[in-house]
Amino acid sequence: MAALLQGLRVGRALRCLGSVVVPKTSSPQCNGLRRGLHCAALRLQEDKDKSIPVPPSSTASPTTTFHEHYQAHPSEHDTATPAQEAAAAEEAPQPNISYVDQSGEQGEDYETEEQLQVRILNAALDFVPLHGWTVEAISAGAETLGLSAASSGMFQNGAGDLVLHFIAQSNTQLTEQLAEHHNQVQLGQAEPKKTADFLRDAVETRLRMLTPYINNWPQALSILFLPHNIPNSLKHLSTLVDDIWYYAGDRSTDLNWYTKRAALTGIYNTTELVMVQDSSEDFQDTWNFLDNRIQDIANMADATKRVTSTGEAVVQGLMGAAVTLKNLTGINQRR
Amino acid sequence: MAASIRLLARRIVRDAFRTINSSVSVRIVSSSCPSNLSACRCFSDGAADKSTHFGFETVSEGEKAERVYKVFESVAQKYDVMNDAMSLGVHRLWKDMLLHVMNPQPGIRLLDVAGGTGDISFRFLNYVRSQQERVARRTARANQTPSWQEISTSYTTPTEGIEMETEARESRAVVCDINKEMLKVGKQKAESMGVSSGLSWVVGDAEELPFDDDQFDVYTIAFGIRNVTHIDLALQEAVRVLKPGGRFMCLEFSKVTNPLLARLYDAYSFQMIPVLGEVIAGDWKSYQYLVESIRKFPDQETFKQMIEDAGLFSVRYHNLTGGVVALHSGFKL
Repeated sequence: MAALLQGLRVGRALRCLGSVVVPKTSSPQCNGLRRGLHCAALRLQEDKDKSIPVPPSSTASPTTTFHEHYQAHPSEHDTATPAQEAAAAEEAPQPNISYVDQSGEQGEDYETEEQLQVRILNAALDFVPLHGWTVEAISAGAETLGLSAASSGMFQNGAGDLVLHFIAQSNTQLTEQLAEHHNQVQLGQAEPKKTADFLRDAVETRLRMLTPYINNWPQALSILFLPHNIPNSLKHLSTLVDDIWYYAGDRSTDLNWYTKRAALTGIYNTTELVMVQDSSEDFQDTWNFLDNRIQDIANMADATKRVTSTGEAVVQGLMGAAVTLKNLTGINQRR
Repeated sequence: MAASIRLLARRIVRDAFRTINSSVSVRIVSSSCPSNLSACRCFSDGAADKSTHFGFETVSEGEKAERVYKVFESVAQKYDVMNDAMSLGVHRLWKDMLLHVMNPQPGIRLLDVAGGTGDISFRFLNYVRSQQERVARRTARANQTPSWQEISTSYTTPTEGIEMETEARESRAVVCDINKEMLKVGKQKAESMGVSSGLSWVVGDAEELPFDDDQFDVYTIAFGIRNVTHIDLALQEAVRVLKPGGRFMCLEFSKVTNPLLARLYDAYSFQMIPVLGEVIAGDWKSYQYLVESIRKFPDQETFKQMIEDAGLFSVRYHNLTGGVVALHSGFKL
């Protein structure tokens, strides 16, 4: 029965060769032959290990040898599995010699799908100044990777996926920079900054990542405000603020934890809004605004300290006055 | 003549039996169907000996294709009218939903297999045209308040280049059907609607498409795949003609999830639809075949598995009208 199936497959491969409608170059025939062999090899592989329920692509590792012998020209998308396709796309001009995908694990398909989605979104960011934060930008990005424009349908949230991806990526970049600075301080190669300066620099670094897209940023903000996107956008914002405070050295475990993060969230959001309508050179107005807000917070912290100490002093004064009054009226004396 | 009367009588008797215990027997039959099919394939040699289902009948595979052809040949003239009558116009919403989920960008190529009278293709062309108009309106509005940078670049660069680019991205739809009668009806519709550019009509078999590899951005098959003798071959052909990154979309009748709705749906299908077929189109048998073939088609999850086996990724389905119709979508990555 295995031989019968294999015979059917080879017959089908030969039919593929024969029924090519317009053979422009030799490459369609090569593709057909390669696919036929690919299919035949798959069938052999599947017959051998029937116990493992395996999707066709992950049995492709033994057939990479076939793949290479018949590699006529670089674009191999129609026969390559996504794992091979990722490697092929990265080395498109050269022949595919990498054996990166020999380990055909079960879960590799899903990982590669997400990685592919990340690559498409990264490519789509280049088109945001032209198309805005829309599905057209994602389609244009997919086309630069050699995929059809229809692959933007993979993103069920459409433009929301693009915006959230960008935010997650920027937050990760910021966290890496803060961690790097932290390491340098530990090693003694850099000076530790004061809290106010640290916060200021962190917020400025993060907001500077918006500069290429600042013209379309209001559209992105409106997308983030859509009800189905609010949980995700709030999550990203809160982790961003938490990370900044952590690297600023905050280890508080009382109400200060909440007040500090609330304050920084307020500063970040308002500065972002100022930046969106800022037209000064290199956003200087925005950084001045940021300085002032951080100064306000610092002043407020001082003021609260002073108010509490004054309050304590006032309370003590009142207690003293009450005791004096009691002495004067003779209540304290015992008869 | 006598044979056809016998056939009719057989159908009426079967129908009567079915109304008594329709839902139970249908589910049993449909669940045992796939194992029968694979068992038959293993034993036999040529296509003439392998058997498959034609509605609730068992026929050889060669015969099925022929009989499906005859069914659609006879219903072609009244196809659209019957669609409206049977689904009470809801089929238009299903097809609109297909386009909405597809969200085609201007410039993509669509292959509408089993497209017959061209419903999907007409909607596709309308959608893309209205999108292009919307984009044109948006750019016109944006150009009313240009920034300094835009004004300076418009002085330095020629503007014709941009317009030529948008014109080159004209979308094209190809309607492919095995049945010439259906295509004829579709062409007449196109002429009466005045749609001419961007549309072509091709005769072809879904199991063996007359196109090169990597040609199309989107492949749709709406209410056609259950009539194909070898569904997996049709799926493989879909994977072949799609470009990398291309999307496969299939609209098909499927299993209703809600049991109460299922009972109503079965009663409506077996009681009303053949009667409507007889009254409006004068063809009871074809519409009996229609409702039987719906019951023989695999359910949503099974079909999703089949699509994944053919090599498509990110496969999802949406149930429309409570599971009466399912929209499956997969990508060639």
